[in-house]
Parts: sequence; C-alpha cells; structure tokens
Amino acid sequence: MIKCEHVSLSFQDKRVFDDLNFEIESGANASVSGESGKGKSSILKLLQGYILPDTGTISINGAKLSARSINQIRNSIAWIPQNINLPVHTGIKLMHLLGISERKESVYSFLDKLGLEEELLHADFQKISGGQKQRIVISICLSLDREIILMDEPTSSLDDASIQLLINAFKTLSNKTILSASHNHAWIKNSNQVIEL
Amino acid sequence: MKNIMDINLVDLAIGFIAMLIPIALLLYYKVRIIPDVLISLLRMVIQLALVAFYLEWIFEMNQAWINSLWVLVMIIVGIFTSIKRIGLNWKQFVVPFFIAGLTSVIIIDGFFLGFVIKLDYLFDARYFIPITGMILGNSLNHNIVGMTTYFKGLSEKSDLYYFLLTNTGNSKLALQSYIADAIKQGLNPLIATMSVIGLISLPGMMTGQILGGSSPVIAIKYQIMIMLAIFVGCTINLVLSIVFSNAFVFDPYGRLKDGILKKQ
Repeated sequence: MIKCEHVSLSFQDKRVFDDLNFEIESGANASVSGESGKGKSSILKLLQGYILPDTGTISINGAKLSARSINQIRNSIAWIPQNINLPVHTGIKLMHLLGISERKESVYSFLDKLGLEEELLHADFQKISGGQKQRIVISICLSLDREIILMDEPTSSLDDASIQLLINAFKTLSNKTILSASHNHAWIKNSNQVIEL
Repeated sequence: MKNIMDINLVDLAIGFIAMLIPIALLLYYKVRIIPDVLISLLRMVIQLALVAFYLEWIFEMNQAWINSLWVLVMIIVGIFTSIKRIGLNWKQFVVPFFIAGLTSVIIIDGFFLGFVIKLDYLFDARYFIPITGMILGNSLNHNIVGMTTYFKGLSEKSDLYYFLLTNTGNSKLALQSYIADAIKQGLNPLIATMSVIGLISLPGMMTGQILGGSSPVIAIKYQIMIMLAIFVGCTINLVLSIVFSNAFVFDPYGRLKDGILKKQ
C-alpha cells in the first residue's frame, strides 16, 4: 500500500502541491493525471526518496519513508522513467547494469507480450524506434518482479496498437501495485484509481 | 660503479642555448606563447634549484620524521592540485583524498621498500623520497583523469544513476559502472606506457640511474619494480579516492549532493 498524507512540495518558492493526500491499495492500478507542471513526475520521485516533501509523510507497505527505510522501500519498486534516453546502447547492456541474467525467461516473456522479438535486446538503441526502445526498457524493468511499479509516461513513444499491447500485458500482472503518471486517455481509462492533480 | 660525471654550472648554462631553436620556431610561426615558455622555464629552474637544496639537507639529516614530513607535504600538494584540476570543492575532498593518498603510500612503501628491496632503514631518504615521489607524481595524473571521469559521469548521467539505484535497490550496483569507467579511463594511459616501455620510450628514472653510473641491469630491475609500484599505487589511490569520496558525495538518501563540482 502507498500512502501520502498532507504532503506539500515546493521548488524554489514555487508551490507544486499543497496538502496532498491519497492512498493506493496493494494490487491497485492507479494513474496520476493532470496538466504539465502540476507535479505528476514529482510524486513518483517523492515515492523513491529522490525529492523530499516540505511537510507530510509518505509510507510504502507500512514503512515510513526515511533515510533509514529508503533501501528497503527502493527494493520493493521497479522504476520506469519517462526519459528513455538512458546512456546505454542495448537492452542487454541495460540488463548487465541491473544485474539481470541474459537468460532470464521473464524478460523474453514480457518482450513477447509487448510484440517484440528477443533479438532486439542486442539492437543498438540508436537504430531502433523510440517505441521499441520504450517497450524493451519496460520488459526489462518488469522482469525485476518488484511489488510496486512506478512509471512516468509509459506510453509516450508508443502508437495505439502498442499501447493496447501494454495495457493487455499489465492486465496479466497479478498482485502488483502500479502507479503511473500519464496523459494518455486509453491508459488512464484502464486504471482502477485516478489521482487528479 | 663508474664515477659520476658532474655537469658544471657553465656547461649547464650552455645547455640553455638550445632553447634558441624552439624560440626561433615560435617566432617564425608567430606562436604567441614565448612569455609562457620563458616563465615556465624560469620556474622550473628555481623550483628544482630549491628542491636540490632541500634534498641535499634532507639526505644529509636522513631522519625518519623529516623524511615523513617531506612525503606528507608531497601528498598535501598533490591533493590540492588534484582537487583544483578536477574542479571539486576542496572542503569536501581534502579528507578522503588525504586518507587515500596516505594509505596507498603506506602500503606501497611498506611492501616494496620493506619486502622487495629489504631496506634495513625503511625511511632512508635515498629510497623513501624518490620512490614515494614517483608513485605520488604518477598517481596525481591518473587520479585526475579517473576522478574527473567519475564525477563527470555522475553529473552528466544522473538519470541512469537514479534508474539503477531504484531498480537494483543497491548503491554499490548502481555505482559499479561509473567506478569501472573511472578506473579504466584513469589507468589506460599507464597500461599503454607499460606496454611500450623500453621500445619507444626509456623511462627517466632508469636513464637517470644509468647516467648516474649504475649498470643497465640494476637500472632495469629498479625500473620494473618502480612500474609495478606505480601501477599498484595508482590503482589503490584511485579506488580509495572514489570509495572514501562517496561518503561525502551522497546524502543519506543516496542523492548526489549539490555543489560537489565547482561552477565552471
């Protein structure tokens, strides 16, 4: 369960949000929606301890977010950022950096669900489309099998057909708590909880 | 051992006549660096002359505490030079760089002077100072390259660091590729030097020993030992500099602290 109580956040005197409260039950698929600059991505960074709130508390699976609990909390999260332009050349290299075995079956299974051939793991990211790269990164991160999945604009580089594949793939995930920041209507519609900023 | 042929000061001054050739070439091609060349030449002569006086005195005294103090001064000057060249804030890095430098000197000198050369007196100025100086001088260059790569990597590829930090849940794993890159870049020039030594370059220490009257075989044995000491010392110094710096670079949440690198 993800719990956010009376959280306020500001950057250099500019208030991003004030007294934010929400609760996401374990196993829920939630989306944060709102216009650009409303703080959607900031919520995801708050949950990982990369930005700290001015006031309020954040708890994940009962552990209050603090310097002491941060490693335990991060160990329960798979993080799929918006900026897929990670300075890594191939999916395989990314798997090495994450300490994932090249033979990990679940990576291939997610690639298949997202309509990709496993050979693409060896393809140079510069030579494939943004959508293919995004689906490769998502497949690799999902294979980590973490309890909580945080995603920033997971559909930003995807066409409608690929978005549908992604929605279908996420429906097969069981017992995962998902929180994504998104602008995409089809993706948000598929969520069972929407946090409006 | 043959007698050492001294160079008298008049002959040394005659050597400066050779400088007319590069100065003429610089003038001909209108390269406007002649004042810089003359200033650095003057500095080199003054600095080395002063060092000659210090070393004469230090060698004569040959006291453990004076020799150690001299090495400490070398470490501290090296630290400030590294910090300035990398563009770091000195307050945060003096301590980790000092511990790294001192530890590598203790390990290398203890091992090579104590176990390899088997000196009766470990602090003998004739061995302790030049060998430590060679290790520190080389470590300085390789540390600057390695640490610049490390901090540049972290600041320019911070998105990747945070991606890895969450998805591995482990700061050691998240930093592994940055540390590996820094070590590789830092040691690459040294590996290249070792692979061609004797073929396209004759190292200064060995040449100096031969000119000083040692047999080439003794000079080469010392050179091999020195290259080993430099490689081991540089690696230890660079790795420890990174490891000890990490305690000052990240906050308790694993975030890169602001103001690590000075604004350019």
